[in-house]
Amino acid sequence: MNTAPPQRAGVAGSADAVAPPVRAADWYRRKRTREAMLVACFLLPSLMIFFLYRILPLGWNVILSFEYWSPLKAARFAGLDNYAEMFLEDDVFWQALTNTLIFILASPIAILLALAVALAVNSDLKGAAIYRTIIFLSYPLMSVAVGIVWRWLYDERGGFINFVLRGTGLIKEPIPFLQSFGWALPSVILADIWQVVGFYMIILLTGLQSIPQHLYEAARIDGAPASARFLRITLPMLRPSLFICAVIGILNSFTAFDLVYVMTGGGPAHATELLVTHIYNMGFGETRFDYAAALTVVQFTLLVILTFLANRAVGGNAGSVESA
Amino acid sequence: MRRRSHILRHLVMALVCALMLIPFYWVAKTAVTNENIYAYPPRILPLKPHLYNFVDVWYLIPFARYFANSVIVSLIAVAGNIVFNAAAGYALTKNFAGKRIVVLLFLSCMLIPFQATIIPAYLVSARLGVLNSYLGLALPLLSTIVCIFVFKAAFEAIPASLQQAARIDGLGELRILFRIMLPLAKPAIATNIILSFIWSWNAFLWPLIITRDVTMQTLPLGLARFLAYVEDTTGALYAFVCMVLLPGIIVFLMAQKEFIRGLTSGATKG
Amino acid sequence: MSTRAILTSRFFVVPAIAIATLIAWNLYVAAHAHGEVSGKVVRADGAPARGATVILYERNLTSHFLEKTRTTTDAAGEFRFKDNRSHQIRLDTIGPDGRQGQPRILRLWFAAQDVDLRRPLVVSPSKN
Repeated sequence: MNTAPPQRAGVAGSADAVAPPVRAADWYRRKRTREAMLVACFLLPSLMIFFLYRILPLGWNVILSFEYWSPLKAARFAGLDNYAEMFLEDDVFWQALTNTLIFILASPIAILLALAVALAVNSDLKGAAIYRTIIFLSYPLMSVAVGIVWRWLYDERGGFINFVLRGTGLIKEPIPFLQSFGWALPSVILADIWQVVGFYMIILLTGLQSIPQHLYEAARIDGAPASARFLRITLPMLRPSLFICAVIGILNSFTAFDLVYVMTGGGPAHATELLVTHIYNMGFGETRFDYAAALTVVQFTLLVILTFLANRAVGGNAGSVESA
Repeated sequence: MRRRSHILRHLVMALVCALMLIPFYWVAKTAVTNENIYAYPPRILPLKPHLYNFVDVWYLIPFARYFANSVIVSLIAVAGNIVFNAAAGYALTKNFAGKRIVVLLFLSCMLIPFQATIIPAYLVSARLGVLNSYLGLALPLLSTIVCIFVFKAAFEAIPASLQQAARIDGLGELRILFRIMLPLAKPAIATNIILSFIWSWNAFLWPLIITRDVTMQTLPLGLARFLAYVEDTTGALYAFVCMVLLPGIIVFLMAQKEFIRGLTSGATKG
Repeated sequence: MSTRAILTSRFFVVPAIAIATLIAWNLYVAAHAHGEVSGKVVRADGAPARGATVILYERNLTSHFLEKTRTTTDAAGEFRFKDNRSHQIRLDTIGPDGRQGQPRILRLWFAAQDVDLRRPLVVSPSKN
């Protein structure tokens, strides 16, 4: 934006040539304070909201995690008691942590699927726009409703999946997917992949379309086979997009709350408990805000570490950390 | 050779699309099914389809109330997003002391997922006295960082000469924003509307925490409640799901371009 | 953007259609929600059943039908209820001779919808 002060003063001066130079400087100063006021007023509402609902909570979480505190009791310093309880006594925490990590580690599957779809759609294929719309359609939908949809697909009697598996003779007895300890988590992950794969695809498509075509042409002239073109051009150029997908996958372990809440409620026997559902249960089920805050601190730390690792994994262009 | 690869790709894409659409079909089918939906084997085509499940839902739950609550919260969120994000985006096009810090602050806030703030956010709302109110439901959604940057980019794309010409004509900053910048940033406004609408419309965890009365519940909460409390063997629940999904699908199909542009610009440009 | 462009954009047309449909539907409902249920009871041979009792049941939330009111048919075998408030009702008939007819469940599009049974209720459905 080309609004450097001297230039603007010049414009103002030329428009108001008769005014003496002292008045012009004065006018210019007042205008600057006015502009500063305006900027402050314009930024204030957004900053307030982010302060109240992002920054303050982050700090408050840390403070709460070192306290004994509940809405009815006065705060008392607890040292590391909450963390000690979490790591040493809370089996559900370890289960939830494992599940959250499994959830995050499953996202590369979805990203690979999305990459395949994006490569197929990103070309002169007729009707690509329709395919793109259909695949993306599930992403903007209410995840509570999506959870109920999938719950129904997994149903023992009326569900589509058991119907197909039994109809094709793959299984004899219906599988109660969401009620069995082993199947519940993969089932929820599959539903999550279904919902989010379209988003990955859109991100990767944008990345694919930003790759300059002349790179491919040059490679073709050099006689590079398709596989080499993919490995040497497409993948390296897609790094930023892949990183964004990875970050979305990591964040997804937070946003999957809706799906888990509706599909299994964390059960059976905490088989699908994620850290975020454990936080919710501790905070609002058992009103242990202090302990829930400690859990949140752990999960947030995990998120930061994983994001950092993902950044290193795709070649460490830290610049795109800001894009999450 | 090329033709055959195209046909193959069409086949694969058709299969993928079918997999993506089957859940929708299965639920829509169940919603119009007449017979017991738990009968095995389920029919692929309903025997005598009818729409009375939708009537049942309407009288079984306060659908109109949930819907109105959702609409009100979404309207507040959308209005707040346009005003606050446009203002903040415009402010960020100016040069001022501490701009780098503000931008950095916004970018780091982006990394804090809302779900990681629920405990203190609830306490903040309690202190503010906005628990169980429309304002409290909408407050954390009133401004979105992604959309601020969408506005910033849109404003920066407008030639500076236009602004300077307006200044020479004696227009104040507010007038410049309303008369010149906003009309030229229509795509950004559209993106903003659609993104903030979808996010507030789908929000579940926050309303779950902050509402106490049935009268304040939004559609996602209504769905979860129906699931937990109403036992039935008809397709009423799935009729409800259809009624909830349909507005979202329509809005998305209408504004697909703006939605995707907002998401990708938010995710790639920062 | 001109007024014309706004009026023909999908962001105006789709909500406008939705709102218009909603208003039209509500007007229709308002005009047809008197709770009148009328019909005819006939005997198995097709002759109008005079003096037959017709019982109106309303469905409540737990999917049970509860008796709401009853009436008897006139000389032409016709009956009329005026105070149905439900969207799902059941009609039972008892002939003048005390024999029960086939109950009929009616699902309505909205509560208290006015209905006129096209197929008459039949008392003593067993063919004799």
